[in-house]
Amino acid sequence: MAVLRPFDKLPKLNSGVLLFVGSDEELQRRLAETILQEKKDFNINIHLATSLPLPSERDHLRPRIDLVVFMIDIKSKYSLKNVETSLAYVDASYFLGKVCFLVTGVGRKNDCSIETNAVCKLGEAYCSPVLFCELELEGVRVATAQRLVRMLGICAGHIPGVSALSFVSLMRKSNDD
Amino acid sequence: MQRRRSSKTPKQPQHVQHKNQTDLSAWRKGGKIDSEKSLQYNQSANDQKYDNQEESLEQALSYFGKVQDCVAPKKNVVQKHLDAVESTALKQGLPPEGFEILLNVALSGRLADTVNTQLLKSLIPASVIPENSVVTAVSWLCVSKCSGNIQLLFLKWLITVFDFIDHKEQLHALYGFFFSFLQDEKLCPYVCHLLYLLTRKENVKPFRIRILLDLQAKMGMQSHLQALLSLYKLFCPEQVTITLPGKMKTYFKNSEGPWKAAITAVRQRNQGPSPLSQAVFLGTSQPQSRKRKWNAQLVIPASSTNTNHLEEDREKSCFYLHNTNESFPVEQLQTFPQLLQNIHRLEFPSQMGSVLTNPLLLHYMSCVKDESIYLRLYYWMGQMLQEECTWCVVDNPYEEEFKSFLETAYKAECFLQEGFSACEEFLYKTLPLWDGFCCRSEVLRLVSWIPLSSFSDIKQYLFDPLAQLFFTSSIYFKCSVLESLKELLQNWLNCNVIQMDLEISSGNTTLSGLVNVVAELVDFVGRISTVALRLENNSTFLLYFILDFYGTVCDMYLKYNLPLLIMPPAGVFYPALLSMDSVNLNQLCYIMYRYRTNLVAAKENELSKKKILQFKFSNQTYQKYNQYIIAMVGCLWTSSAFQKDIHPQGLCMDDKLLSKTAVKELKNSFNIVYHPAMMGYSVRFLQQICPDDTTFNFKLIKGKKWDWYLEYLYTQGLKGLKVFIESSISRVSQAARSKAGNVEA
Repeated sequence: MAVLRPFDKLPKLNSGVLLFVGSDEELQRRLAETILQEKKDFNINIHLATSLPLPSERDHLRPRIDLVVFMIDIKSKYSLKNVETSLAYVDASYFLGKVCFLVTGVGRKNDCSIETNAVCKLGEAYCSPVLFCELELEGVRVATAQRLVRMLGICAGHIPGVSALSFVSLMRKSNDD
Repeated sequence: MQRRRSSKTPKQPQHVQHKNQTDLSAWRKGGKIDSEKSLQYNQSANDQKYDNQEESLEQALSYFGKVQDCVAPKKNVVQKHLDAVESTALKQGLPPEGFEILLNVALSGRLADTVNTQLLKSLIPASVIPENSVVTAVSWLCVSKCSGNIQLLFLKWLITVFDFIDHKEQLHALYGFFFSFLQDEKLCPYVCHLLYLLTRKENVKPFRIRILLDLQAKMGMQSHLQALLSLYKLFCPEQVTITLPGKMKTYFKNSEGPWKAAITAVRQRNQGPSPLSQAVFLGTSQPQSRKRKWNAQLVIPASSTNTNHLEEDREKSCFYLHNTNESFPVEQLQTFPQLLQNIHRLEFPSQMGSVLTNPLLLHYMSCVKDESIYLRLYYWMGQMLQEECTWCVVDNPYEEEFKSFLETAYKAECFLQEGFSACEEFLYKTLPLWDGFCCRSEVLRLVSWIPLSSFSDIKQYLFDPLAQLFFTSSIYFKCSVLESLKELLQNWLNCNVIQMDLEISSGNTTLSGLVNVVAELVDFVGRISTVALRLENNSTFLLYFILDFYGTVCDMYLKYNLPLLIMPPAGVFYPALLSMDSVNLNQLCYIMYRYRTNLVAAKENELSKKKILQFKFSNQTYQKYNQYIIAMVGCLWTSSAFQKDIHPQGLCMDDKLLSKTAVKELKNSFNIVYHPAMMGYSVRFLQQICPDDTTFNFKLIKGKKWDWYLEYLYTQGLKGLKVFIESSISRVSQAARSKAGNVEA
């Protein structure tokens, strides 16, 4: 089926695969380029998509995806709706640490049309961390890229002793305890 | 024209003159420059345009000065001058002389509303705005010759450029006039904002309070009225008896309009300081006040002669006392003795932000018990932080300015040794949105001054966003966070010590509340350190910062008098014990020594029943300490760590597994000679005692040589190891050891 599953393919040696899902293609592309310029110990493959499900014709060519990043633009209600519909096409076991929400555009507080509260609730409902950033500023873009690379390394299993699930449970809100 | 050119055009004056001399066509004013000419002509054209602008501004100003007498001003002439004013204003700002003329025209209602609007929108100051122009403008306002929209626009402009007005004494005198405008519904919010900036204690009068309450009854609960009432209440709480809701975040709508962007653009072009630094410094530097300083000198001796002549002339002294009711203008405060002499009649500047850079005013702020000062300061700081925050406002190019503003706030906090709640709220609001990169060290330094309170909001607002950033960021970020959390802990402990010494009971903080909050912080750091060591693969650099934090934690009982003792988690202890470098091992030894001292002192106090302890350290703490100490002694001295360690997350291994390691002489091979961190020292030592021996026979280090080895280690700076061994390890006597031989080693 068209649902993304985390374990139905074998992993490649010394690599990590990232999938961006979001309505703003230009921003995805810029962030992907910044990530690829980062210094890293393993090979990174980045796949870009505007929504899920991914086209099934190329399914056999696609590698196993280690981390899915849903990009939400705080200025556009459509991007949030897009992400919400795409979430249905992700298998539940991805939400054990291999999904993250990236909210862009926080630099323009006056133009935001969705509430940060709504996104945080979405993150809590799906047990995944929510990162905020402003990708138009170059320094922030580089810093966000570095954070995503670190998360990807953990999700792809490159850090001994730390699994994706244990990592994401560290970042849960303390009032859930 | 030549004269002006040489003073106004710094670039290539010679060149331009030369060109003008050789080419007659360029002599024509207004520059009918042939566009086919080369680039140099374009530059001269720019210079000419510059001069044309200056001239056209002067022409415009002189025109507008005379337009009152004109019967019917011609539309295109007016428009031409308007455009000249607007273009100069947007490029470099208007000179101070221009304001009076233009304000007069705009507010007199002589010309059409569109003209007045355009004029008001072009009032961008290049440097300062003279007070007289504003006073004249207000007089026009009172006559109401201009339309309501123009009045509104003028008020908005006044609020925006308030900091640029050079003196404000006459404005303060006009307080009553401004107050009368409150009755106009449209103007009311802006008038309230202006009054908020102008209000001083002497302005709070009962009739004004009554008017405000009537307005509130008529118009309902309006945030701007509430703001003014809360300020009045702070100045004179006994006169405002109604209850007002607590702190509101924003009282006034942001009414900056078109001027703010233009002002920042002009500042940038003139390469002057940004509005941020302008606001901070404006209150303190007053170059024109030299004349008034002499007057001030005359007042001070009057108060001193007062005490001399007190017995002689009562009436005279009363007169002098009455004189000294005047407040001492704060711009003239230059030295500490002056502060002490005038401390009873100092008045804070209307721009509260200037307090941050003035140490004398900070001294004054720390001893005066006036809530209104803090309210004004926090309101201004909160606004500034919110508006200029560089990662929340993308169009703000002034990252350096914002950084230095955060730095100034931090320095003021260090000076006063207390945190500002405005900074605390700013951190809680923006940490979830922070990327960990912008202004990193400044923000983390502000984190270290979060005030201590026994509410556990801190978990939700500080720990959660910080944890998310911590785990996903680089090792250097992790170390910076650990350092700032250590400083936060120290600041809290110091505050607590001071409060207990002075026996100040502050609100809701009880001892148990404090202990809980501190315990939460230490637990939080313990948890994130454990994970961080795993993520960074037990990096030495990271471990150094973690042990630095626990260096403060271990001494909380004896040094800071707080009845709390928390052992480091196993995830920190064991990586430190088995670390590859001696610095961390040494630090760990020192920490364990301090834990022992604290525990022993606590036990003694408990047993002697000298102080009735509210808190007893639970048995669990002692148990955990004992487990750790067994592991440590086993690792460093007796080679028995693998057999004797009873900690559930410890080093215990059964013999079969141990024998698989194929280490010869298990009973002797795990101590400070063979420890990976100490190998370097033992090798060096062997080289010194047996210089010719190339095979490193570590078994030689026993008996007397063991003592020499210990002495050698102590001389290498391992003081922590020294105090640990002397306190925690009881050694067999000299005689017994020489008989036993191999037992020790």
